Amino acid sequence: MTPMIWGAGVLAVLLALLALGMPIAFALGFVSIAALILADGWGSLGILGETFFGGLASFGLVSIPMFILMGAAVASSPAGKDLYEALDRWLNRVPGGLVLSNLGACSIFAALSGSSPATCAAIGKMGIPEMTKRGYPNEIAAGSIAAGGTLGILIPPSITMIVYGIATETSIGRLFLAGLLPGAMLTALFMAWTIYDCRRRGIGLDMLGRRFSMRERLAILPRVLPFLGIIVGILFVLYGGIATPSEAAGVGAVMCLIFVAVIYRLWKLALYSQLFRDTLKESVMIMMIIGASELFSFALSSLFITQTIAEWIAALDVNRWVLMAIINMFLLFAGFFLPPVAVILMTAPILLPIIIQAGFDPYWFAVVLTINMEIGLITPPVGLNLYVINGIAPNITLGEILRGSLPYVGCMVVGIVLLCLMPEIALWLPDTLMGPGR
Amino acid sequence: MSLYISAVSAMSRVLGVVAMVLTGAAAVVVCHMVFIRYFLNGSTIWQTEFVTYALVAATFLGSPYVLLHKGHVNVDLLQLRAAPPVRRAMQTVAGLFGIAFCALLAWSGWTYFHEAWAYNWTTDSVWRIPLWIPLLPLPVGIGLLVLQYIAEIMKIYGDAS
Repeated sequence: MTPMIWGAGVLAVLLALLALGMPIAFALGFVSIAALILADGWGSLGILGETFFGGLASFGLVSIPMFILMGAAVASSPAGKDLYEALDRWLNRVPGGLVLSNLGACSIFAALSGSSPATCAAIGKMGIPEMTKRGYPNEIAAGSIAAGGTLGILIPPSITMIVYGIATETSIGRLFLAGLLPGAMLTALFMAWTIYDCRRRGIGLDMLGRRFSMRERLAILPRVLPFLGIIVGILFVLYGGIATPSEAAGVGAVMCLIFVAVIYRLWKLALYSQLFRDTLKESVMIMMIIGASELFSFALSSLFITQTIAEWIAALDVNRWVLMAIINMFLLFAGFFLPPVAVILMTAPILLPIIIQAGFDPYWFAVVLTINMEIGLITPPVGLNLYVINGIAPNITLGEILRGSLPYVGCMVVGIVLLCLMPEIALWLPDTLMGPGR
Repeated sequence: MSLYISAVSAMSRVLGVVAMVLTGAAAVVVCHMVFIRYFLNGSTIWQTEFVTYALVAATFLGSPYVLLHKGHVNVDLLQLRAAPPVRRAMQTVAGLFGIAFCALLAWSGWTYFHEAWAYNWTTDSVWRIPLWIPLLPLPVGIGLLVLQYIAEIMKIYGDAS
């Protein structure tokens, strides 16, 4: 059998198993080992445990459970509420202040938690009722939070970026820096659209409930600044090359746990057992997919599928931007059904050689890929953020949330186009701070 | 049947707690390592390896617990739309494939562990602990995952009758 037929077979069986509802990790593992046994006989079983274990036993992966722990600590505390209030108090005189504080709180919380659904839940619980109370339509309230939440996987530190870094052996510090400006750009695009949309509907942006004194503004800072300090600290040690992502993540996680305990005086054991339970679920889920994807990429390359696809695409000799458009469409489609981490782990071994061969920068591509994944988070059928918002704001229908989110999908597409026209948006910061090159 | 389900689920919970403790311990050891390395300018011997293997162990030992709580992410789009008997059939078939993979992984992990034990392999770091110690969670955790998976399939039919 030729590698192409093997490839088609592996893909067909994988899609069938996924459609059946099999957990992604086990489906990936099953097709990989089945293909290896069919090709090389039962002897392949010997490498199964070794490859799976070897794929997980790396100090670089330590950053994933640690950042998840950090995010869980922040998400289980009222930090999201305080962040939201702090921005509201400081921005309430700016036109469209509430929208800005919502989206701003989303982007900062996203950085801390690294998780899109957690951001939607934490900021949405405060932000959506507040917006509807002050007269914003349901669609804008729900849509802006759904979109704001997606920033969690782009703005550093981001677990999605770490997984990309591990799958493609690229520098995680550099990936984080590459995501920073595009994250700010998307936040600004979201803000601009929301303000425009409000004007268009004739909603006055000065519907502000109250004014805040300087005293009130300063009073909230001690509860917010320590968390901001952690993000700045993590980025500082990473781009300064002072510590590895795993070290930064572990220290960040313990500091967040301490801050939650000290600032909010949360000492209940139940809170911490819930927090560790959430961490375990999320991190085991991701780590099992990573282990299985190690098997998957081993199977693909030992059956020469990866190499053949890359050669085949190179031989097609299409325009590199046409190629990029096709890859984007493919990723977008995959993102409609699969969570970001799974898409990255499954496609990175195949896509990365193609991307580099076509002369694209792997760090720039990471940003484009992540924005594609963000779109998948707010589009049906499995847009996680839509369901999270449906859960926390039961009086807003799923249809309204969806209609509210769609314009933001447009913003993200604009963002991707801007990144294609000006790759510097992603690359300027890492090139300037860490020096050019890979 | 319900005795089997509750016994296996109880074991999964126990290993789940062990996995949570390992995760917490890993976070503390990372801080300890950073403190020694960057503030005392000392060298660290065992910390890197401990943290790495503790989190691998947490993954394997925690996986039955995560299955118990339906935490291994899947695409349930078609399942949710199917009529109950079809859905049960889909869940059963998906479960059997899942058991097949996990059983192969557990068995392969066991042979790897057994080799490391029999030949006294050690890790290739300064710490040089016997390799079977970090390998043991693989057959144990994934073995229990198989048992938990069987319990999950039993539950599908337990709810129906």
